[in-house]
Amino acid sequence: MTISYVLMQNLRRNRTRTALTILAFALPMAVFVAAISFVTALHTLHTNNEKELRLGVHNKQRLTSTLPSGYRRKIESLDTDGTRLRAVCGMRWYGGRVPNTQNTLTSLAADGDTFPIVYSDLEMTPEEVIAWKRERTAAVTGIGPATTYGWKVGDRVTLDSSVPPYLSLEFKIIKIVPKAERGNIFYFRRDYLQASREQVGLLDDRCHIFWVKCNSVAAMRSLQREIDEHFAGSPDETKSEDENAFGANFTQALGDIPGLMEALAGVIVAIIALVAGNTMMMSFRERTRELAIFKALGFHRGRVFALVLSESTLLALLGAIIGIVPTAGFFWISPLRIPRMGPISQLEISPLAIGGALSIALLVGIAAGFWPAYQAMKLKTVDALRRVA
Amino acid sequence: MQRAEIELRNIRKVYHKDRIEIPVLENLSLDVASGDFLVLMGPSGSGKSTLLHLIGGLDRPTNGTVRIGDAQLETMSERQLTNWRSRNVGFIFQMYHLVPVLTAAQNVELPLLLFKMSGKERKQRVHTALEVVGLTDRSDHRPNQLSGGQEQRVAIARAIVTDPRIILADEPTGDLDAKTSVEILGLLDLLHKDFKKTILMVTHDPRAAAHGARTLHLEKGALITDNRNAQPETATTGAQSSA
Repeated sequence: MTISYVLMQNLRRNRTRTALTILAFALPMAVFVAAISFVTALHTLHTNNEKELRLGVHNKQRLTSTLPSGYRRKIESLDTDGTRLRAVCGMRWYGGRVPNTQNTLTSLAADGDTFPIVYSDLEMTPEEVIAWKRERTAAVTGIGPATTYGWKVGDRVTLDSSVPPYLSLEFKIIKIVPKAERGNIFYFRRDYLQASREQVGLLDDRCHIFWVKCNSVAAMRSLQREIDEHFAGSPDETKSEDENAFGANFTQALGDIPGLMEALAGVIVAIIALVAGNTMMMSFRERTRELAIFKALGFHRGRVFALVLSESTLLALLGAIIGIVPTAGFFWISPLRIPRMGPISQLEISPLAIGGALSIALLVGIAAGFWPAYQAMKLKTVDALRRVA
Repeated sequence: MQRAEIELRNIRKVYHKDRIEIPVLENLSLDVASGDFLVLMGPSGSGKSTLLHLIGGLDRPTNGTVRIGDAQLETMSERQLTNWRSRNVGFIFQMYHLVPVLTAAQNVELPLLLFKMSGKERKQRVHTALEVVGLTDRSDHRPNQLSGGQEQRVAIARAIVTDPRIILADEPTGDLDAKTSVEILGLLDLLHKDFKKTILMVTHDPRAAAHGARTLHLEKGALITDNRNAQPETATTGAQSSA
């Protein structure tokens, strides 16, 4: 028998209470891990976006309004010496859904010639670029719909548009992007969409957004200013934003999600600290006599303190592990898709969230157990024995 | 003249409650020889348990000195006193105070966690202690699976497993019926006679007191009488009765 064994046996003393306490840790920890994973995913996305040096140019009035496709040439012409701008890609929102589903993919028709340059982070191989340019119905999709609907490269798939004129187009998958943060994307060629629109009598050639791939942060900032100045006073004024600011239009439409998540995480930590603290105080009060006996037998103050504190910490860690493992397992087996979360299309449990949850559990366990442990340490053996004798 | 095993000099013990001073022991001096069986009697509040706690190093006197063997308890730090207690004193309480989630053997083993010894030696010591109290067949039982008498026997095994020189028993039969009390007193007789332990027992029961070699009567914190029994009673031991 060891002290650890005694500790474990103590947890079995009141199994229902131990189970409920562990559960009281586990459930908030599961929510905490998911919330922090979401915030981490946003931060990762922002960091990646910053590296891509992409500037989004859209209608100043609102995102859903369009701009003439000729703006692309005008934007390109602003880089007179050809040092600031690498390529401009016009895009039009398609709002594609897999027939008979409500799952709207982030589906956009993109300029065929510049898409592979502007979206170099999709890491299209030379063969894929050739296929993209050769095949008018070529489509690049994320891992999310590919997994959900069993799509493979070479498959022909149909998407129904959720916006007028509600086209139904067939595409040929030429690439599946494995990145989780691009999980819900579906890009295809704009000339294919334009031709299809013309077939139903819609001859206007306009884009919802132009993505401008820049060479540096300084170039991006100067172009951002110059583009908006250039189109100021025109019937279609522009608003240029970097990709993070553009993404924030979506997330802020849902409220301050990262702020809410972080606040939620804080509340969770406070709740479990109170629950654990209360449980440990109850447990200590019930065992005053027993702890006095430990001291009478020769366990010194430090050992008694460690025994009570270890129990609290062990409970907290067990709860955290029981909360984290199924959550991580769930997201690993079935990654959560969030089609309405804008730039976040897929959520995976972040190692940072797991580490954070375990650290918080440890700290909460220590904090919750500290006072009862201190009380146990200060307990006067004689008084405790006299009280219960 | 042989030096006393336990020597208390001019002991005064005062408790404070709501700023009121409550004297419990007043100018008490006492010598106990090694291997003696001393019984402490007296009305509630007379200071019997306090005296026991002072001798066991669970409490400190307000004034006076407590020497046990070569150890001067009032000069020891908290840690020194705790270490000394774990090696020299075995406690037996009225309410047994066993850890409910541990088996009888594990309860007996508990004090040995503080000692460096091999698992084999530890197991042997636990077995021997349980054998002395006649409970080897109940070693895997938890306290709630034992009778009151059996629980007290486990508590006695726990008190002797470290082979202490002094056994302090605070009303060990106070919660037991007459028959079981006789068994427990028999065990204390055994520890006194065969194992040569110095035993101090607090009791209200004159029949239990008859087992001691010497009886002290305390009243209002002072020693009233100090009698030596010419022929202390003996009882059948628990080990013998369960065999």
